[in-house]
Amino acid sequence: MDAQYFISSGLIELYAAGMASEQEVQELEAAMRQFPEVAAAVETYRRNMEEYVSLQRLTPEAAVKTSLFNQINNEPDLQDSLQKTDQQMQQPKLVSMTETKSLSWKWIAAASAALLIGSLILNYVFFNRYKEFKEYKDKYQSLLLSQNSILSKENLYKTRLEQMQQSLDVIQDPDVMKVKMPGTKAFPEAMATVFWNQSSKQVYVKVNKLPEPAADKQYQLWAIVDGKPVSMGVFEMGDTAQLLQKMQITGAAQMFAVTLEKKGGAAAPTMEQMYVAGKVPG
Amino acid sequence: MGATLTYTEIELVQGLQARDEKIFSYLYDHYSPALYGVALKIVTDEASAGDVLQEVFIKIWRNIDRYDASKGRLFTWMLNIARNTAIDSLRSKAHKLDQKVQDVTSTSLMYEPQLAVHLPVDHLGLTKVIDGLPKDQRIIIDLAYFKGCTQEEIAKVLEIPLGTVKTRMRNAIIQLRILLKQL
Repeated sequence: MDAQYFISSGLIELYAAGMASEQEVQELEAAMRQFPEVAAAVETYRRNMEEYVSLQRLTPEAAVKTSLFNQINNEPDLQDSLQKTDQQMQQPKLVSMTETKSLSWKWIAAASAALLIGSLILNYVFFNRYKEFKEYKDKYQSLLLSQNSILSKENLYKTRLEQMQQSLDVIQDPDVMKVKMPGTKAFPEAMATVFWNQSSKQVYVKVNKLPEPAADKQYQLWAIVDGKPVSMGVFEMGDTAQLLQKMQITGAAQMFAVTLEKKGGAAAPTMEQMYVAGKVPG
Repeated sequence: MGATLTYTEIELVQGLQARDEKIFSYLYDHYSPALYGVALKIVTDEASAGDVLQEVFIKIWRNIDRYDASKGRLFTWMLNIARNTAIDSLRSKAHKLDQKVQDVTSTSLMYEPQLAVHLPVDHLGLTKVIDGLPKDQRIIIDLAYFKGCTQEEIAKVLEIPLGTVKTRMRNAIIQLRILLKQL
């Protein structure tokens, strides 16, 4: 490579404009040391650029000069700083001051941004948690409600079970006699059963099928003892009718019958309102 | 500007090395307009350019011992300090590449003498040079010299191939040289 190669390569123009790559700079600076023509060509282009720059000169405000000289005079140690190392020289106070300023500003901005982002994330997280919490609270309340209803139902079933057990105990007693009372001619569909414990003399009645009476009426059970009706008491209908109902005690009876009477019962049975009747077997 | 100097470069350098404030003041008066012009071209606002200029002269004052006359003229050395300081200031302000391009194209308004706030001393000469340089050549010189863009950056922002950047740059400098000779 000769001097002419560099002069015509276009590298000098790039170099003068400050646009050459690092490798190109090294290449050209080596050539400048080797060939005076190259160095001269570089200097010519450099002067061209400097002339172009000088054409764009502007007078700065007078305050800049005042400030500059103030700064130089306020640093007396500068007068004796001839021995300072290059490293220190490269870090003028002015530069480090502005750098610190801009650095702290940047830190504050970065910290603020980080805090804002953090806050937004926490907001999002807590809002979601709150939503979840609300959801769970609703679910919990409805669960509590259904648990309560289950509990009350359970109590109901328990009571019912106990009652059934009691009924079953009554029926399973070997001393209990069962007296079937079919419907009379007037009420052929009706049916009821008496369970009569022969040892305790206790009488129970079980409704198999009886029409629901009016609100002011009640069914009454009678025991026919030696041809005369003896009241065994009134009994309930509705849900209670599904169970055995404990009536009064009688030592003897040939027949049992049920009549519909006024609420609370009557002293003597109304024969026309006899729904069921049955003879004691044996 | 050589004709107006009453000190030679060697005298200036020696005076500065002796911490002669009179010489420093003289240096400021004679070179600050050119260096301020460079700073303003790079940072584009007058307050920042003033700050850069002050920093440049403080660096000159403190680092004059590092100036090596065998490597180039004093003006070249000062010009490099001004360019580097201004470009550093620009970078510290996190100017983006697009911003650089925008600056170059918008400050080209300053080429119009009637729009300039400060009338450049040699504005007739400047106008002649600016008018003689095609706009695409002027932008490429300004991006490289004043904004410190690399060839790759220029190719990217102007959306032209790298080879075209080099060719256009070379043509621009050759054209600039012809125009300067005519002044």
